[in-house]
Amino acid sequence: MIWRSVDLRRTALRTLLQLQLNMAASTFCPVLLPLSRINCKLNGIYTLISLNKTAAYSTGLSVKKTGAKTGLPQRGGKELRRQIKQVLQPRTERMAVDQDWTAVYPTAASFKADAVPLPVRMGYPVKKGVPPSKKGNLELLKIPNFLHLTPNAIKKQCEALKPFCTEWPAALDSDEKCEKHFPIQVQKKDYVFAGPSLRHPDARIVTLTVKLSSLNLDDHARKKMIKLSGERYNKDTDTLTITADSCPLKQQNHDYAMYMLTVLYHESWKIEAWEKEKTRADMEEYVWEDSPSQKNILETLLRIRPLSEQQEEGEVREELLGREEVQEYKDSVTKLKNEGETEGNMQQYKEAVKKLLSI
Amino acid sequence: CMYVCMCVCVCVRTCITVIEEPDTLFQKLTVLVKGHDKAVLDSYEFFASMTAKELGLTLAKVSEPPKNIERLTLLKSVHIFKKHRVQYEMRTHFRCIEISKVTGSTAQVYLEYIQRNLPEGMAMEVTKTAIEKVPEHIRTPLWGDQSQAEKTSQ
Repeated sequence: MIWRSVDLRRTALRTLLQLQLNMAASTFCPVLLPLSRINCKLNGIYTLISLNKTAAYSTGLSVKKTGAKTGLPQRGGKELRRQIKQVLQPRTERMAVDQDWTAVYPTAASFKADAVPLPVRMGYPVKKGVPPSKKGNLELLKIPNFLHLTPNAIKKQCEALKPFCTEWPAALDSDEKCEKHFPIQVQKKDYVFAGPSLRHPDARIVTLTVKLSSLNLDDHARKKMIKLSGERYNKDTDTLTITADSCPLKQQNHDYAMYMLTVLYHESWKIEAWEKEKTRADMEEYVWEDSPSQKNILETLLRIRPLSEQQEEGEVREELLGREEVQEYKDSVTKLKNEGETEGNMQQYKEAVKKLLSI
Repeated sequence: CMYVCMCVCVCVRTCITVIEEPDTLFQKLTVLVKGHDKAVLDSYEFFASMTAKELGLTLAKVSEPPKNIERLTLLKSVHIFKKHRVQYEMRTHFRCIEISKVTGSTAQVYLEYIQRNLPEGMAMEVTKTAIEKVPEHIRTPLWGDQSQAEKTSQ
């Protein structure tokens, strides 16, 4: 009884091995999982066979099926054992130079010394020695490898991805054109990382940048908008930056930033009653009309050439202001006040004064 | 007998649908990758730049911002021995890949491909600068007529 059961088990094992080798001989074997477990009911016995990973690879050999009942003949046994021995050798021995590497490493996988035909050495060398070889090398296992992303693999995958891409419109080839047709810039950030949570707190922040010159604003609206934005306006680049981070979602922050821009725009066009009381101190830039400088100049000129009785004061004023030297003086003073004191500005002022007083 | 069956994918081209909604336009797409190992970063940079070239994207800049080293000095022993300490440091290397002028669909495809192949132990920060038109409600002022009336009265 015992003898027969052992025989049956051995036969079952041999038949299964032959089946596996048969399957391995076919082309789609590399796709099999490295550890294939075949649960098989054979002759009423449940056999759980766990096959070695190397046995799952393609052998390229054809195995003859022998009779199972009387037991395998000696020659068949030797042949089978030789083939199994070949299978147990590293796969690199059977690799062709022009093989398809994407079939060996189709996805990201750890480094397998028996599957990579490169003489790689890694690790700290022993005294008067070389770095350890690839067999059983933990350092090679630890480091992420890019064996699945060879140039060939990248090309193949990009070819497959190309149908999903769209082209950039050819009309927008320069930054100026982009600025002209699409003045608003929205900046958003995404994060990919490993941690206890997948969410990054800064991912909700949205920054909106727009140049005021691209918006439909008149003089008063522009000045009011600059005053309302305060710190968010950059005078050098004429950009208004609105950062929204109060809402939990990115889309909400984007909507809020657009809402802020809309409100700023429409408020800046409104003229309130109290805006009439704008004094000289509130002005953003120096204006020469009705300034002490203008009064002084007129007084000085009138003193140089005193008023005759026929001429009226108003006319004389107009005439004096219309003179070229006075205009030059006005330009130089405005420049000095607005841009600050520079060599060029001071020179211009000096020349203007000399001309006026005809020195 | 047991056979392994392979599922054959249906032709990819039938899955592509074109929607009427206009594509978002990105003036700049900045991918900043952080890692502890410079060799891995080098390989990833090669992979990312090659992908960009294959997909026809313009690589504006590929730079290496300076590394950041965080150092700690801790006590070597569990109890007393204040004079004996041990020092650790954590080096974070960076790589910045800037792509200019991409459409929303292309950016999505590129980023998804890049992110799926991000190696373990590396982090990524993506900054997208989208360009938009001035919306309808900001074209003309709501209170424009009122301001005109005010001006004429003055």
